[in-house]
Amino acid sequence: MNDRLLLGRSIETGSWVHKLDARSKILAMILYLVIILLAHSWWAMAVLAVFSVSVLSSTKVPLKYYLKAAKPLRYLMLFIFVVQALTVKEGEALFTIGSFSLHEGGLRLAAFSVIRMFLLITFTALLTFTTRPAKLNQGLEGVLTPFKKLGLSPERITLMISIALRFIPTILDESQIIMKAQASRGADLKELPLKEKMRMLVSLLVPVISSAFRRAQDLVYSMEARGFRMDAPRTKYHRPAWGAADSVFILMFVIMGVAVALL
Amino acid sequence: MAIQLQQVSYTYADRSLWRQTALHDMNLDLPQGSMVGIAGATGSGKSTLLQLFNGILKPTQGTVSVLDVTIRAGEKPPKLLPLRRRVGLVFQFPEQQMFEETVEKDLIFGPLNFGMSPEQAKEAARKAMTAMGLDHGLLQRNPFHLSGGQMRKAAIASVLAMEPEILVLDEPTATLDPVSRAELIGLLERLCREEGRTIIIVTHRMDELLPYADRWVLLQEGRLAFQGSGAELAADPAVLERCGLTVPQSLRYWRAVAERFGLTGEKPRLTAESLAERIAALREPGGSAAEMRDRYE
Repeated sequence: MNDRLLLGRSIETGSWVHKLDARSKILAMILYLVIILLAHSWWAMAVLAVFSVSVLSSTKVPLKYYLKAAKPLRYLMLFIFVVQALTVKEGEALFTIGSFSLHEGGLRLAAFSVIRMFLLITFTALLTFTTRPAKLNQGLEGVLTPFKKLGLSPERITLMISIALRFIPTILDESQIIMKAQASRGADLKELPLKEKMRMLVSLLVPVISSAFRRAQDLVYSMEARGFRMDAPRTKYHRPAWGAADSVFILMFVIMGVAVALL
Repeated sequence: MAIQLQQVSYTYADRSLWRQTALHDMNLDLPQGSMVGIAGATGSGKSTLLQLFNGILKPTQGTVSVLDVTIRAGEKPPKLLPLRRRVGLVFQFPEQQMFEETVEKDLIFGPLNFGMSPEQAKEAARKAMTAMGLDHGLLQRNPFHLSGGQMRKAAIASVLAMEPEILVLDEPTATLDPVSRAELIGLLERLCREEGRTIIIVTHRMDELLPYADRWVLLQEGRLAFQGSGAELAADPAVLERCGLTVPQSLRYWRAVAERFGLTGEKPRLTAESLAERIAALREPGGSAAEMRDRYE
């Protein structure tokens, strides 16, 4: 149980966004990325923010979970803001100290970068919050299918992703148990000085890695035992179905894109 | 009391969407020097309970007293390192916690963390190996090259080397072969009877622990369903079924024999040998043989 890890964890609320086809949600996220890059004015940003918040609210997932998704990147955002503000020298100078000067244009671009990043991260969390990993993966396979002609194997990619997603929580849980076991043997990471901590890390990493290898081996054997073959044609348990709601969802993003580009 | 729980509740991921209460309002007393068995269906909160015993988890409500340390919900706990030396916690599949290149280094890891000198630690490691019935020649071997049973015992020895007063084990016999299982339970019983350590064992196989345990704790969906001696459990096996457990064979045999021959007040015989002896004693001269014949006819 790790309540800090929100990655790849869906939150079921049964909203209309949850019921959409995974493919339309993935496409919408790609469109959202484009829209963000098209937004170049305060007005566009404001309209986009209102749009984002209303879509996020309609998922019925508490908004603070979206905020939490962006939290790990707060220092990166601060860093980007500072660097942008100090290096871009456009518009009139607001004030100057020695060789440093802060310009109106720099401040604006810095704010835009941070807002873009913040919107992108919080908004794309919608995809994982409202879609179960299995469906998400299937959607990804669907979106990647056109690239088959270029020699890309969507099955291979999605298999890798689904195995990775499947084992992230398992390995995290296991690391926590090993952490607890070593803490019971007097190696509590919380209560030790930094130098000791590095030494204790070995006592954590060796068991975690060796068990990950053991797991991988077991998985290979069990897949082979059940006759799994890569790229063999397979039937699907859930048939994805593109409905009217999916088209409306995509249309919303297209309209938004046009609106933002014009503002 | 070695361990005392007063109105203890534990909730995972408190204040989040995934909050889940694993233990509800538990009151528990485990006396010093006793051998305690803990049983319950999967998900009944056994592993959570164990982790409260050495402060790995802190109660979200209530008070946990272990030896002379008291951990209250919502208060800043005292330094837990000394407590963890005195309460050795062996997790499920302890062999997965081993990481050093020799068994000896793995065994002295705990003792060194708790401030023993290297010589003391090595001495403690050798003693723990003996207590676990392992050959000292294994000390210089790589733990990853031992057999499954040896690795398990070495991992338990690595906790035992800390010389804890209370030893808590989560399903120590799972995935072991029957011979190693019986050996391990025997070794743990010796630690309890000869050295006076408190031994607490979570088990799915009540049969193997029933003859030795002084006390049983049964959990049902995070609540205490039963706490008492093996004899009390033998008198009321229905509680086992309420907890989603099957009544152990040894207990069923004893109940059948006891009811048939009117022995219900006696101390339960829970091994095949002791039960056979008791049945044989029924045939001894002095009336009981006649009594037995009567019942069969």
